Amino acid sequence: MTKLNYREALRDGLRDALVREPRAFLMGLDVGRYGGTYAVSRGLLEELGPERVRDTPLSESAFVGAGIGAAIGGLLPIVEIMTVNFSLLALDQIMNNAATLRHMTGGQLAVPLVIRMTTGAGRQLAAQHSHSLEGWYAHIPGLRILAPATVEDARGMLWTALMDPDPVLIFEHAALFGLEAELEGAVTPVDIDHAKIRRAGKHVSLVTYGGTLHKTLAAAETLAKDGIDAEVIDLRSLRPLDTETIIASVKKTRRAVIIDEGWRSGSLSAEISARVMEQAFYDLDAPVERVCTAEVPIPYAKQLEEAALPQPETIVQAARKTVGTHV
Amino acid sequence: MQAVQQKAPPMAQTQTMNIIQAVNDALKIQMRKDPRVLVMGEDVGKFGGVFRATQGLYQEFGPNRAIDTPLSEGGIIGTAIGMAIYGLRPVAEIQFADYIFPAFDQLVNEAAKYRYRSGGQYPCPLIVRTPYGGGIRGGHYHSQSPEAYFIHTPGLKVVCPATPYDAKGLLLAAMRQDDPVIFFEPKRMYRAAKGEVPTGDYEVPLEQAKVTREGKHVTLIAWGAMWHTVSEFAETLAKDGISAEVLDLRTLWPVDLTTILKSVEKTGRAVIVHEAPRTCGFGAELSALIHERAMLKLEAPVQRVTGFDTPFPYSLEHDYMPSVSRMRAAVDRTLNY
Repeated sequence: MTKLNYREALRDGLRDALVREPRAFLMGLDVGRYGGTYAVSRGLLEELGPERVRDTPLSESAFVGAGIGAAIGGLLPIVEIMTVNFSLLALDQIMNNAATLRHMTGGQLAVPLVIRMTTGAGRQLAAQHSHSLEGWYAHIPGLRILAPATVEDARGMLWTALMDPDPVLIFEHAALFGLEAELEGAVTPVDIDHAKIRRAGKHVSLVTYGGTLHKTLAAAETLAKDGIDAEVIDLRSLRPLDTETIIASVKKTRRAVIIDEGWRSGSLSAEISARVMEQAFYDLDAPVERVCTAEVPIPYAKQLEEAALPQPETIVQAARKTVGTHV
Repeated sequence: MQAVQQKAPPMAQTQTMNIIQAVNDALKIQMRKDPRVLVMGEDVGKFGGVFRATQGLYQEFGPNRAIDTPLSEGGIIGTAIGMAIYGLRPVAEIQFADYIFPAFDQLVNEAAKYRYRSGGQYPCPLIVRTPYGGGIRGGHYHSQSPEAYFIHTPGLKVVCPATPYDAKGLLLAAMRQDDPVIFFEPKRMYRAAKGEVPTGDYEVPLEQAKVTREGKHVTLIAWGAMWHTVSEFAETLAKDGISAEVLDLRTLWPVDLTTILKSVEKTGRAVIVHEAPRTCGFGAELSALIHERAMLKLEAPVQRVTGFDTPFPYSLEHDYMPSVSRMRAAVDRTLNY
C-alpha cells in the first residue's frame, strides 16, 4: 500500500499512460517546464522529453484544435486546460468538432482525445476560476464526461478514458488535490460506465459526484446520528449517466437528494431529477430535492464563497426535508 | 380612462408581417428613438443581414450604427460588451446560433458577470440576436438549439419569440432594460409565421409566458418554432376528444413558473417539447421545477419530447425534431399512466 494524494494519483495515472502508450502525449499551458499549474505533470518533461510533454501558447482554442487534429491523425492526445472557465474559449472546437466528427463523417473519423481540466470552487479564486461547468458539457452529444471524486479514481480514470475511441473530458476538482488515501501499488483501470455506491443506506439516496462527494459523505454521517440511514451514490460518469444505479437506489429508499456544485437552473441535477421522476414516479414518497450552488458568479470573499456552495449542513437539511417525520 | 387611451393607439394600425419584418421594425423604431442603439455583426450593414433582418438600417442610420464586422464572433461580442458597459445599447447579431460558441467565453465569463463583479457599477445592456433551430436542411452547423447553456448562466436573460407580434414586442422590451439578453429567433418560421402586427411602438413584457390555447386534460409547453408544431398538434388532439392547453413560454429565463404551475395544477399532466438534445436540455429543468412544486397535483410524470442525444443530423432532421407521433405517444403516456 502507498499513501497518495489526489494530485500525486493524477500524476501517477498520467505517467503510467505516457509510458505504456507511445501514441499518447500531454499538451497544454505550462504542463512542461513549469510542471502544470496544479503541479500534476511535475517531472514528466524531464523524464519523457518535449515530444511527449508539450508546452503550448496561451490559446485554448488552438491547442484543443491541435489535439483534435492529432487524434484524427492516429495519436492519443491528453490536453490539459488550466480550469474549466478557460475551456469556454475552446468550446467551439470541443462541441462543433471533437463531439461531432464521428457522426458527421459516418464513422470514418474518430477523435480519441482526452481533455483534463480543473473544476470547482473552495479556494477563493473568485468569478473566473471557480465554476463547475461540467453539467454544460453533459448536454453535448458525442462527449463522455468523467468526474473522479476519489484518489483511486483520480489515478485510474485516465487510462480508461484514453482507451475510449471518443472524446472524453475529465473534471478534476480543485478542492480535492490534497485528499489522501492508501492505494495498492500499480495503476488499475477504473470502470467508467457505472456509478458507485460509496455508502449503502435505506432512507434516502444522496446522488452526487466530484468535489461534493466528501461533503455528502459527511452529511450522511450527521444524518446517521439522527437515525437517518443515507445511501450515497458517486456518479463518476456524468455523461452517459448510469440511470439504472440511480433508479434502483431510489426505488429502495423512495427519496432522493441531488447534490451538484453547478448552478441549479439547467443543471445536471435537473436532468437527474427529471429522470427519477419519469422512471420512479410512483416509488417516490417526496419530491426530489436539489442542493446546488447559488446562482451568482462564485464570490471571492471566503464567507460568501462558502455560503454560495453546497455544504454538509444544507445537504442534511434537504435530506431531512424529504424524510420528514417518517424516520 | 386616460390609461386606456394611451395604450390604444399603437394597436389601432396593424400590418401583416413575418418575423423578419417584425424584428426589422422593432430595430428601426428603437434606433429612431434612442441614438445609443446600434446593430453590429457579420453582413448586417450593407447587405442587410443574411436573413434580411437588418435591411435598410445601414441606409437610414449609416455605417456607425449598422456596423459590418469581421468574421469573429468573440470579437463581435467582446466589442459589444465594451460598448454596453460604456453607455451604448448594442444589438449584436450572431449569424447562426451554431456560431455563438466562439463567443461563449465573452458571454458567460464577461457579459453575464459584469454587473455582479462590479458591485452594480457596470450593467451590460447587450442584446444578442441569433437565429436557432432546425428544419432548413442546414446540417449540424446551422440547426442547433443551444438555449440550455445560456439558461444555466446566471446573469443572462433568454428570450425566444414564436410569432411576429411577440418578436417585435419582446425585442423592444429587451432593448429597454439593462441586462444582457440572448434573443433566439426561430429561423424555420422567419417567413412562414405571419400575423397582424401593430405598426407603432409597443412592448411585450419579458418573463411572461402565454396560454395560447386553453384546455383541461394536458398542458403542452413549447416555445419558438416548436410552438407552431405543438399548436397544430393540439388541434388534432381536440378531434380525438383530448383537450390540450398550450403554453408559449416566450421568455425562457427567468421562466414564468407561475403560469406553468397554474396550468399544470389544473390539467394534472404536462408534456414539454423542444428541439435541443434531451439530456440536460431546458426540458429537464422545467420537469424538475414542476415536479418539485406540484408533485401531488400530478396525475402522471411530466414527459419530455425532444431532439435525440446526437449531433443534429442533415438527412434525418425531421426524424430528429419532435414529431406529431412522438408528441402523441407522450400525451398518451400521461393520459394512461
